[in-house]
Amino acid sequence: MSATVNRSLALIAGATAGLFLAAAGHAAELKSPEMVKTGLRILASVYADMDRKLAADQFDRLPHENQEFQEGSGALRDAIANEPAGFKAQVQSSLASTLTAANQVAEVSKSHDKAKVQSALSALAVSMRSLNALFPESVRVEPGSVEAPHHPPGAGGPPKTS
Amino acid sequence: MPPPSCTPSSTTAPSPLRRRLTFAALLLPTALLGDLASASTAQSKRVQLTIASDGDLLAFKPDHLTCVTKALVHLTFYHTGKYISQQHNWVLTMPGAADAVAQAAMTADEKNGWRPQSDRRVLAATPPCDKGQHVSVDFIAPAPGDYPFICTTPGHGAVMRGILHVTP
Repeated sequence: MSATVNRSLALIAGATAGLFLAAAGHAAELKSPEMVKTGLRILASVYADMDRKLAADQFDRLPHENQEFQEGSGALRDAIANEPAGFKAQVQSSLASTLTAANQVAEVSKSHDKAKVQSALSALAVSMRSLNALFPESVRVEPGSVEAPHHPPGAGGPPKTS
Repeated sequence: MPPPSCTPSSTTAPSPLRRRLTFAALLLPTALLGDLASASTAQSKRVQLTIASDGDLLAFKPDHLTCVTKALVHLTFYHTGKYISQQHNWVLTMPGAADAVAQAAMTADEKNGWRPQSDRRVLAATPPCDKGQHVSVDFIAPAPGDYPFICTTPGHGAVMRGILHVTP
């Protein structure tokens, strides 16, 4: 009995390790890693814009941001176009869930209820993390990781006197 | 008997009219040279600047530009986005006014290109630009200093910005 359990555990561990290695191997062999990174970056960038709009209580702009999110997803679809069918289906399924979560943000924004919109936005972030997890770490762009503006607010300073 | 060409008038002091004509004839080459010189100066102060969006991302590429003060600048902005249909523009503001202009743009009408109208903090601005298109603006470079430029499409001004360095 104990031997059977041990064998089963060993099989599960082996299968898990095999899947992990296969995923890691595939991840390292992405056909267009830069395009994938750009696709994920576009989504993270629009997510950051949604976050800013919510912080500024600009609920009416969120449906527009959702439209950008839906449009921007085309970059990721194009980036995985030449990947193996199985992996492509996995990404497309995860992306579909992410797009549904983005639609939900737009839908809930009509209520102008900040807490509800924040909750929908958090759900979108979770979905985006799952999407990112399908790819190697080197190309991931997690929600909230898009860097701050290159320049301080109102950058420029007074004109130089010469 | 003087030769026929030497008329009395040619040997005597020139009339005021002739003196003026001679003077003008002498001045003409100088004036032309002067014009050429100033045209050359103006030519050297014409500056072509090119800037683009960073694909579909909310960023300018490059995000730093440089020109000399008082130059006649012709700036062309390329919207290199492929997927997202949002418009962008390029708006040069007074130093320190980028945030205020971006905020004012939020209430500006879309048909005005999200650009605050008659706003003295705006020094130059292109019209809105669709993806795959380009737009231009001509302006005289302001006094030396660092001037922020932003995209005033709502929400873009927070991150889509850069600096125009105007040198003496």
